[in-house]
Amino acid sequence: MNRATIRPLLGKLGGLLLTLFLASVVIFAALQLTGDPIAAITGGVRPTPELIETIRAQYHLDDPIWLQYLRWLGGIVTGDLGTSFVYKTPVVDLIAPRIGITVLLVLYTVVLIVVFGIGSGILAARRGGATDKAVLVATSVGVALPTFVVAILLIWLFGRELGWFPVYGAGEGLLDNLYHLTLPAISLSVLYIAYLSRITRGAVVAQLGSEHVDTARVRGIPSEQIFRRHVFLNASPQVLSISGATIAGLFAISAIAEVAFGIGGLGSLLTEAAARKDLPVVQVISLMLVALFVVVNAVVDVIIAAIDPDSAKPRRNA
Amino acid sequence: MRIRGTAAAVVAVGAAVVLLAGCTPRDNGTGTPTGAPASSTPVDLVSSLPAGTTAVDEVTWGLAEGEPALLAPGGDYNFVTPNLCDSLLRVTPDFGVEPGIAESAEFVDPVTFVIDIRPGVTFWDGSPVTRDDVVYSLERDRDQRSAFYGATVLIVPGADGIAVTGENQVTVRFVAPDSTFRDAIAGGAGAVLSKAFGEQAGAALGTSAGGVLCAGPYKLDSWTPGQDIVTVANDTYWGGAPEVKKITYKFVPDGTTLTNALLAGEIDGAYNVPPANRGEFESSGTGTFVVGPSTASFSFGPTRSEGLGANPKIRQALSLAIDRDQYIQTVLNGLGEAQSTFVAPFSWESSDAAATYKAGYDALEAPTTDIAAAKELVQESGEDTSVPLRIVIPAGSTELSQTAAIMQSAAQQIGLTAEIDERQAADYAAMFSDPFNESLRADTDLIAATGYTETPGVLAYPQLFLLPVDQGGIFNWSDYADADVTAALQTARTTPDAEGAAAAYVDAQAIFAPDQLQVTLAGAYHTTFLSNDLTGVVTSIAAYSSPWALALGGK
Repeated sequence: MNRATIRPLLGKLGGLLLTLFLASVVIFAALQLTGDPIAAITGGVRPTPELIETIRAQYHLDDPIWLQYLRWLGGIVTGDLGTSFVYKTPVVDLIAPRIGITVLLVLYTVVLIVVFGIGSGILAARRGGATDKAVLVATSVGVALPTFVVAILLIWLFGRELGWFPVYGAGEGLLDNLYHLTLPAISLSVLYIAYLSRITRGAVVAQLGSEHVDTARVRGIPSEQIFRRHVFLNASPQVLSISGATIAGLFAISAIAEVAFGIGGLGSLLTEAAARKDLPVVQVISLMLVALFVVVNAVVDVIIAAIDPDSAKPRRNA
Repeated sequence: MRIRGTAAAVVAVGAAVVLLAGCTPRDNGTGTPTGAPASSTPVDLVSSLPAGTTAVDEVTWGLAEGEPALLAPGGDYNFVTPNLCDSLLRVTPDFGVEPGIAESAEFVDPVTFVIDIRPGVTFWDGSPVTRDDVVYSLERDRDQRSAFYGATVLIVPGADGIAVTGENQVTVRFVAPDSTFRDAIAGGAGAVLSKAFGEQAGAALGTSAGGVLCAGPYKLDSWTPGQDIVTVANDTYWGGAPEVKKITYKFVPDGTTLTNALLAGEIDGAYNVPPANRGEFESSGTGTFVVGPSTASFSFGPTRSEGLGANPKIRQALSLAIDRDQYIQTVLNGLGEAQSTFVAPFSWESSDAAATYKAGYDALEAPTTDIAAAKELVQESGEDTSVPLRIVIPAGSTELSQTAAIMQSAAQQIGLTAEIDERQAADYAAMFSDPFNESLRADTDLIAATGYTETPGVLAYPQLFLLPVDQGGIFNWSDYADADVTAALQTARTTPDAEGAAAAYVDAQAIFAPDQLQVTLAGAYHTTFLSNDLTGVVTSIAAYSSPWALALGGK
């Protein structure tokens, strides 16, 4: 790698770390505003003065806020994610067994989104006519359907009426996991399929009407080749950057499907922890979501830069 | 008394819980429907299902209340602990009391209670249940942090209070007769834990890391926080091994998710299923929907000694403005009944003095709807009606948000305005678990809640709301003080014979019922959904205090 490639990458890394640092400050500070965590820690047992004193000492609640923050950040950097207020177990023990299933759910969803979103967008753009209209109608409905409504419809139709898919839990073993995650993944993907389909169609149509494509056509290059080399490649940065943001966002909204289908993943843990004011868990998962968002977007930027080197350079007229 | 906040936060109230009355064991069989009360949709109440007769490898049970915070008795209330930790006595499904780990546990004189331990009972690890374990377990209740502290307040302080008096015998001595103690130790207060295990576990006792060692029909196998709790049959259980080899408890606080999983047969059974889905449960082909008797109720009460909520006339007016039948249809889908005061009849129906209780209850004025009279009461109250009434409810409880909406429209009808203060589950729960922290209740007037008592007896509720704070009235937030009520309730607690205690209670009830310290909107039935292949569970509120899965098995 030459210096020209390394420097933007280093800059990106620096920006990434800065974003994470700022996010950690905001997350920590925001959760301090939710009030005294004693009730969450005592878990419904009447807090006697001695008990409160013990807890305050144990969790260093009387330290100045900046010291609490530094202790927390220091712990995270050294791999100590803290102890759950509610479960009294290390946060890492709560998160570790749940990451896998959430990642699997998100990947499954991404595959559905990419295949059906980009696929239907290209199909609509290239075929036009009735196909385009059909995709337009379907995606109009798709973007208007909230995830939880799709979940309810799917559970009713495929779970209860037809009995084709399970409606609760994540199952055991990879194949069973995939079987159990089918309906959750579909319910998460519908909105994004519709959205990405629209974006793809727009980008492809724009490229199809562009000068260089016309030129290529005039030169007699086969249409399949034109599409691959010129249309799709040129449309892909836009499609990719949207996909990147979508994937990162999926980790956050996976909670909706996890709760609806009773899947013990990160999203449902976050929801539960927030309701119970289990701050150490909420803080760590929130920070993880920010980190994922930042990292996924950075990776997408790098990929886009590789496809289209111009995009990485400073632009004057973007 | 337990206040049920949301499914996610079941709150055990850590003080002054006292439970009364009928002091003789009852031999009522299970599986018999108890009297169905009048309601717009008649419901047959069943307190337990016929015992299972065939072995079952595994049952998956859904916990609508969410994940327990602690499995050791005395912390929070859940449906797992009763199957793990057997008590000295046992609450029967119809709310009687029968022997448990104690062969007998009786007052031999008004202040001396003798417990004879059943010989040969062992913990899951095979070690025998000894007198020292029983003393250790009862002493745990005497800790102020225990939910059962209130049950022990009349015991002689110090080591003389709970002492070993024989090879298999423990004697409890009291400073005054206590009509509530025997019923209390039929629930979690009488649960026997291994002393050796408990002392070794220390603060971790009952947590997912520490576990418990008890003598109940199921052994704790594993608890993966946030995932599930796995229990397996205790093959050496003194009452005979259960038919079910393994019960896996899943935490499903979302009512819709639970309903879907039950109807699809992916979860075999659950208690406290959402009343809104009654129709789907009743027409389901995968399982049976059972409605059982309960002490649970939906109510609201004052949060401060000043303001609108503290004025009895305002509470009476709101009570008159809410149509109970409509409430029961809307919020409970017909799965409840109107109640004349906040202590449910099921609390005393199995008492030896039931007739006295019934006569007292029947003499109370049943709730009615009368908007004109309600408006008049608001006028008489002398309160500034331009000030909004602030009602606290927990986030995430469908039933309580509906309750608040109904209260809001009732308030509007009688010239008041109401604002709803929806709080996070943990913040809502803290109001009850930290009852002396007034700052949590500042800027509020009324709080809507559901609560229940899990052992027989009538005193648990009234004591909390009616007595002075120093006598156990930890939720007496409006500073209610009626010398006659206080005296009669104390008499009810310290009168050894059931009839005398009942008479004193009924006297108190006649005075406090009209004051509406809790405005009871409905008594809620205990609901169970169970797979068609299974039978044998307790289907009354006694499931909170007894090994409800002991007789669970295949049909």
